[in-house]
Amino acid sequence: MSIAPVQEEITSSDSLTEPDIPWITLVWNDPVNLMSYVTWVFQTYFGYDRAKSEKLMMDVHTKGRAVVSHGPREKMEIDTEALQGYGLWATFQKDD
Amino acid sequence: MARAFARKKKGREVRYTAKLDAVERAVVAGLMEQVHDLVAPEPEAVVPGGPGAPGAATAGAPHDDFDAIVSGLGGLGMGVSVSAEDQVPDDRPVPADARSFGDRDPALERLLPAGNRADDQASAEFRRLTEHGLRTRKARHLTSAIAALRAPGSGVELDERTAVDMVVALTDVRLVLGERLGLREDADVDRLEEELADMDEDDPRLHAMSVYDFLTWLQETLATAMLPGDTTTA
Repeated sequence: MSIAPVQEEITSSDSLTEPDIPWITLVWNDPVNLMSYVTWVFQTYFGYDRAKSEKLMMDVHTKGRAVVSHGPREKMEIDTEALQGYGLWATFQKDD
Repeated sequence: MARAFARKKKGREVRYTAKLDAVERAVVAGLMEQVHDLVAPEPEAVVPGGPGAPGAATAGAPHDDFDAIVSGLGGLGMGVSVSAEDQVPDDRPVPADARSFGDRDPALERLLPAGNRADDQASAEFRRLTEHGLRTRKARHLTSAIAALRAPGSGVELDERTAVDMVVALTDVRLVLGERLGLREDADVDRLEEELADMDEDDPRLHAMSVYDFLTWLQETLATAMLPGDTTTA
């Protein structure tokens, strides 16, 4: 699952796409969102099954965060926006 | 006494129904209206702590009866305000990893958090591209949920689409109210409950917390009823 970052010299965030470097969407723990609701969001938005959704939800709850999707940057930004629309504390970043 | 949301099948249609009395519905709708004013993409409403939040009264006109109920409860402290101007300043340091508050209202920042914790420039670009759409969508969920709460009848009945609006709107209201109550980490919940035990019964936070608990209960029952594969009936 890991692809070595190739020559990470470029630090600007313009969208010079770096196709070999995967990006991730993270969901962070917060004291407000309900376990049932977070599970429902993962099932509804990603189409993950109940078991996978509950596992991710528990990771958020117990580890403070979970990687909920990976892929190209543009897709991670779309996921982040959608999850923030549901009120989850979502961010995207490079998978390093 | 309120009765929880339950999923019911009417032929091929799914409905989510709950029983809430007029006061309960008015309190929830009133809070949703406040959050709507906070988050809706109106330039004036973005200014935190600006004098006389211009959007505040706009949605009230057609709902005088409900507003009267809510304002009548003001003395009882059930007219919980989540407006930035009404808050006691929270002097605790902001957790370093958590936010990029800048000078925005922290409740708004919680609804529209930084998109990238490692890269401010990426966050700024993400915000520029997504904020208007997110605000519009959140406002739409809230408007739909408010309409469902103000529909005539003794309960709340939601079709599948409105149920999504409701469960998301309840989230955003709880996020704002939670932020106003200082709930930023899991440990804050226990801390607040300890504080509440010793609190004067007139303390507005006590009432805010009881409303928050009510919203939590309501959302929990709806989210649980909506989980795919769940066949719970009333």
